[in-house]
Amino acid sequence: MKVSLKWLKRYVDLDESPKELAASLTLLGFEVDDMETTGVPPLENVVVGEVLQRDQHPDADKLGVCRVDCGSEIGEKSIVCGASNYKVGDRVPVALPGAELPGGFKIKKSKLRGVPSDGMMCSGKEIGAGDDHAGLLILDKAPATGTPINQVLTDSDTVFNLEVTPNRPDCLSHIGIARELAAWYRRDVRYPDVNDVPAESNRAKGEGIFDSVTVEASEDCPLYIASVIKGVKVGPSPQWLKESLSAIGLRPINNVVDVTNFVMHECGNPMHAFDARDIAGGKICVRNAGEGEVMTTLDGEERKLSNRMVVIADDDKALAVAGVMGGQNSEVKDDTTDLVLEVAYFKPSTIRWVSKKLGLSTDSSYRFERGVDPLSLRYATERAVSLILETAGGALCSNGMTAGKEPVSQTDVEITPDWIRKKSGFEITDAEIREALELLDMSISVGNDDVWTVSIPSYRGDLYRPVDLLEEVLRIFGTDKIPGGQVRATTTTASDSPITEFVRKSSAFLVGQNFSESVTYTLRSAEEQTLWASHVSADELALLNPISEDQTQLRHSLLPGMLEVLHLNQSRKTGAYRFFETGRIFQELNGKIVEMVAVAFLECNGATGRTWKEKGYDDFYTAKQRVKTIASYAGIDLSKFKTRPVEENVSAWQEGHSSAYEEPKAGFFARMGLMNLSRIKEMDIQGEVLAGIFCYLPERLREPKRIKFKPFSLFPASSRDLALVVDKNEQAEEVVRAIGKIATKASKGFDVENVSVFDVYEGVGVPGDKKSIAVSMTFRALDRTLKDKEVNSAFDEIQKQVREKSPYGIRD
Amino acid sequence: MEEELKNIVASAKQKITAVTSRAGFEAIKAEITGPNGALTKVMKNMGAIPKEDRPTFGKLINQAKTQIQGFYDDVFSAIEQAELAARIGPAIDPSLPSPNAALGSQHPLTKVREEICSIFKQIGFTVTEGTEVETEYYCFDALNTPADHPARDLQDTFYLPDDAQFGNVSKKSDERYLLRTHTSSVQIRTMLKEKPPLRIISPGRCFRRDTVDATHSANFHQIEGLYIDEDVTVRDLKAVLDYFFERLLGKGTKTRFRPHFFPYTEPSFEVDFSSSHLAKLGSEWVEIAGCGMVEPAVFDSVGYDPEKYSGFAFGMGIERIAMILYGIDDIRYFYQNDARFLSQFA
Repeated sequence: MKVSLKWLKRYVDLDESPKELAASLTLLGFEVDDMETTGVPPLENVVVGEVLQRDQHPDADKLGVCRVDCGSEIGEKSIVCGASNYKVGDRVPVALPGAELPGGFKIKKSKLRGVPSDGMMCSGKEIGAGDDHAGLLILDKAPATGTPINQVLTDSDTVFNLEVTPNRPDCLSHIGIARELAAWYRRDVRYPDVNDVPAESNRAKGEGIFDSVTVEASEDCPLYIASVIKGVKVGPSPQWLKESLSAIGLRPINNVVDVTNFVMHECGNPMHAFDARDIAGGKICVRNAGEGEVMTTLDGEERKLSNRMVVIADDDKALAVAGVMGGQNSEVKDDTTDLVLEVAYFKPSTIRWVSKKLGLSTDSSYRFERGVDPLSLRYATERAVSLILETAGGALCSNGMTAGKEPVSQTDVEITPDWIRKKSGFEITDAEIREALELLDMSISVGNDDVWTVSIPSYRGDLYRPVDLLEEVLRIFGTDKIPGGQVRATTTTASDSPITEFVRKSSAFLVGQNFSESVTYTLRSAEEQTLWASHVSADELALLNPISEDQTQLRHSLLPGMLEVLHLNQSRKTGAYRFFETGRIFQELNGKIVEMVAVAFLECNGATGRTWKEKGYDDFYTAKQRVKTIASYAGIDLSKFKTRPVEENVSAWQEGHSSAYEEPKAGFFARMGLMNLSRIKEMDIQGEVLAGIFCYLPERLREPKRIKFKPFSLFPASSRDLALVVDKNEQAEEVVRAIGKIATKASKGFDVENVSVFDVYEGVGVPGDKKSIAVSMTFRALDRTLKDKEVNSAFDEIQKQVREKSPYGIRD
Repeated sequence: MEEELKNIVASAKQKITAVTSRAGFEAIKAEITGPNGALTKVMKNMGAIPKEDRPTFGKLINQAKTQIQGFYDDVFSAIEQAELAARIGPAIDPSLPSPNAALGSQHPLTKVREEICSIFKQIGFTVTEGTEVETEYYCFDALNTPADHPARDLQDTFYLPDDAQFGNVSKKSDERYLLRTHTSSVQIRTMLKEKPPLRIISPGRCFRRDTVDATHSANFHQIEGLYIDEDVTVRDLKAVLDYFFERLLGKGTKTRFRPHFFPYTEPSFEVDFSSSHLAKLGSEWVEIAGCGMVEPAVFDSVGYDPEKYSGFAFGMGIERIAMILYGIDDIRYFYQNDARFLSQFA
C-alpha cells in the first residue's frame, strides 16, 4: 500500500527523515518495500544565497567566481560556478560544505582550477526540485538569504510502499498508519474535524431526489448509510486533492469521486457516490443478485452475477456490486447535480468470495474483505460529506438514511502484567506495559489480583486474546530490543528420522562412488511420463491446477529429470557423466498412489570425451551391487529376493540388460541396468546410460537394529566344485539357491559357508538350449578341521541329490 | 686343482652374470652345479686327493661353492625383479590425470540442509520428515489458516484432483490433497503423534504456484523448527535463533526481530540478520527467517493444553540461505545442475 508522508503529516507531527520513518515503520511491522521521494528532500546546509558579484575565473572561460551572501549567520562565501543563467542580485540555493545532495553527492571545500570554492550554487535538479539542469534555480519572491532551502521549497513528499499484513486492515489508510507512528513516537493523532457538516435540523429538503434504503441481505450488509447531497457542481478537484491522490498513484477524476477515494485512503472506508437521477424510484435496496443477473461495472466489463453476490439496486436494476465496484449506469457524471453517497459495512467473507468469483479486486474489495472498522462509518460519512460540500458545493439533505446497525460490540481482554513477563521471558515493567497499550488507544482498568481489563478499540478486530496483547506490548516496546540469552539445554530422547538417515547414508555412499548429486523438479510433463512410464495413465499423477503444460505431473521416477541433467551437461560439454539424486517419487500401489523415498544414480558410458587412457566403464553388475548397497541402508537384503526382468511395459529399460526387484508387499522396488537405448538416443544423449533406482515406502523405514555378533570358525575350510548344466534362461541366483539348499541338507555336522558361481559357459560340449554354471561350495566346521572323508561323502550326496531331485545335470 | 677351481668360479661368474632369463639361469646352473656340472665333477674327484690334502681342498671347494651361490642369488633376484617389472609395465607419469576424473559432490542445497540440521542437533533438535503430498487439514486448517485465506487459493497452491487417493498420506476427513506449501504440516503430524517436550526440525521440499524466475521456483526447500515445553518464552526463541545464525553466518552475526503476521504463531516475527562476514551484504539488515510463539489455536487442534505448554516455531528457505551463504544470484542454478556449478560444492 502506498502512503504519502505529506499526507501523513496532516494527522501527526513527523519531523524525522524519510529514512528514519521507514526504519520505524519496519519495526512496527510494516515492511517498506520501497520508497520514493519527490520534490526537495530534507537537506541540511542548503540555504538561500544572493549573488553579490561575479568575476571571471582567471584560468577558465566558462567559470565565474562569485561572492554570495548567505545571510547574516553564515556570511559571504566565495563560490566558483559554471552556470551562465544568473545575474548579480539573483537568489539561488547554495549548498555549503557538509551538505549531502540527493544521490549522495557530498559538498566539500574545494578548488576549481586553482580558485577556492566554499560550496556550490545549485540547479533545480541537483536539489531534487524538478528536472531542470540547464542552469541555477533562480528563486522567485526573493526569500531571505540564509533561509534553509526546505523552508522555501516546501513541496516535497516521500511515498512509502508498505506491506500491510492481513491482520491489520485498520492500517490500510493514512490515519491508520499515522496512529501507528504516533504510538511509536509517543505523539498525538489529529483527526480531521467535521464540524462544518450541518446539523440534522439545518439540512436542506431533499424530497423527490431520494426516498429510502432497505437492506434485504442484512447478514452480508449489517449497516448501510446513504447521504443525499443536492446541487453539487461536478468539476476538477482542487490542487491539494489532485496532488494527494496522484502521490499514491491514483488518477484524479472529478471532485466528487476524488473525495470518495481520498476519504477511503484517509480513513480506510470504501464509499461510493451515485448520481441520484439514475436511481429509479428513489429507492436503494441492498439485496442478493439474481442468478445470472447482468450488470456493467465502472471498468466497462459486463459482469454475470450469481445469487450469492450482493448488489446495490434500485427498483429496476443493480447499480453496484456491493463492496466491489459501482455500475456504469449510475456513476457520477459531469452534469450530475444530486448525489447519493454510500458508506457501508459488508461482511468480509462475502466480499472476498465475490471478488474472487468475479476475478475483480479493487481498493474497495481489498478493504472490505479484510474488515473495515465497524464503528467508523458515521465519521467517514461526515468527513466525505464535508469535503464534498467544500469542493463541489451543494447542500446536505435531511433525508439521508441509515439501515441496520454497527455489527460488533465492545471487546475486552484480561491480562496480568506477570503473564506478559512470563511469556516474554525478560523484564518489562508494569509501566512499560501500560504505556504500550495506552499508546495504542486501549484503556485499562485494574481489578483484583492485578488483573487488567483492557478495552480494545473498534478498529482492532485482530485483538481478542491475551497473546494478541503480548504482541502489541512487544511491538511498542521494540521487537529489536528483545534480549537473547542462553539456549535452554533440556534433553529429548529422540533421534533423527530413519528416512533422513537412510538418505544420508545413500548419499554419502554415492558421493564416495564419485557421483554428483543433482536436484530436479518434482513436477514433470505428461509427455515425459508417457515416454518413460507408458504403463502409468496420463491422468494418474496429474495435478488439478498445474501452472504450465510442462509441469502437470508428479514425478514417477527420479531418472527422467536426471537424464535432462545429463543432457544439459553433455550439450554444455562439462564432461560430467555421473549423477545421483534422492527425493520423493509417486507410484501406484494396490490401486492407490503412494509417495516413496527414492535414491537413483546414473552414469553415461562412452561419449564422455577423449581421454589419454581408456576409461574403465561400469557394467550392469556394478550397478546391481550399488543398488544392493543402497537397499541395505534401508535394512533390506536384496539377495533374499528374486530379481526378474523389468516388466515389458516399463519402457525405460533396455531388454536383456536390465533387471528389477518388484516387492510391493515388502514396500519397495528397485530397477537397474541399461536404460532404453532408443529413448536415450531420442533424447539426444550420446552413449549408453547405466542406471539404478531404489524406492521404499517411507513409513516402513525403521531405525536400524543393533548388530549382534555371531562367532565364526577359526578352522580351515574345504571346498568342492560342481559344474552344472542348466536351462539357458535359468538365473544363476536360482541355481545357487537350489544348490545351497541341497548342500546344507547333505552337510551333517558342519556348515556350508558359501556357494558361489565361478564360471558361466555356453558353447561346445553343452547342448544349444543349455548353459553350464560352475559353482564352488565352501564347507567349514565351527569346532574342528574337516576330514576329507566327511566332505567327500557330503559331496557325493550332493551330486546324487542334484541328479535325482533337481532339474539340473552335472557336467563331467 | 686350486687353479681349476679358480677357473670354474671365474667362468661361472662370467656366464651367470650374462643370464637374463629364468630358463637361461637354470641351464647355466646345471652346467656348474648340476649333476654333471663342472664344480660337481671336481667334487666327485675328491677321492683322488691325498688324504692329508683333503681338508685344504675341502675348504677351497666350499669357498668356490659359496662364491658361486653368491652369483646365483644376485642374478636370481635381478631376474625376479625384472619379471615383476615386466608384469607392471614401464614407469608411469604421475602427473597424468585419471581417465575417470568424476568427483563426487553433494548438492549445495543438501550441504546447507545438513549444516543447519547439525547446528540444531547440538542443541537437541532432531530431524523429522513428512510427505510432500499433504491434505488441506494438515497444511492449513490445523495451522489456524482460515478456509478463505488467499494462500489456499487454486492460484497459489497446487491441488490434486478430488478423486485422487493416496495410500500413505492420511486425511482428517474428506479434505483435498495438495502439495504442501510449507513443512509446518510435519509439525502438526508430529504433535498429534507425540507428547511434549518436543524439539524437532523438519527440512523438506515445498511447492507454491509460482512462475519460475531468478528468485522463484515451483518447488523449493524449507526447514522449520518447533520447540514445545513448559514455560517457553519469546526470549528463548531469540536465544535459539541468535545461536543458530551466529553458528551459520559467523561470529558477530546480529539478528533482530520485526513484528509480522503468520496465522500459526502469535506473536509473529520476521528475522533480519546483519553480518560482516558476507561482504556483499555489508551492514544492512537482511531478511532471513520467520518465527513466532505457537498460536494457541494450533495447540487446540493437536490437543495440547495451551495453559500448560508453550513453544515456538521458526522457518526459513534453504535456497535463500544457500544463496546468501555462497553468493548465488539465481535460484535456477540449483535446478539446472550444471557440473560447473555442482563441482564448486564438492
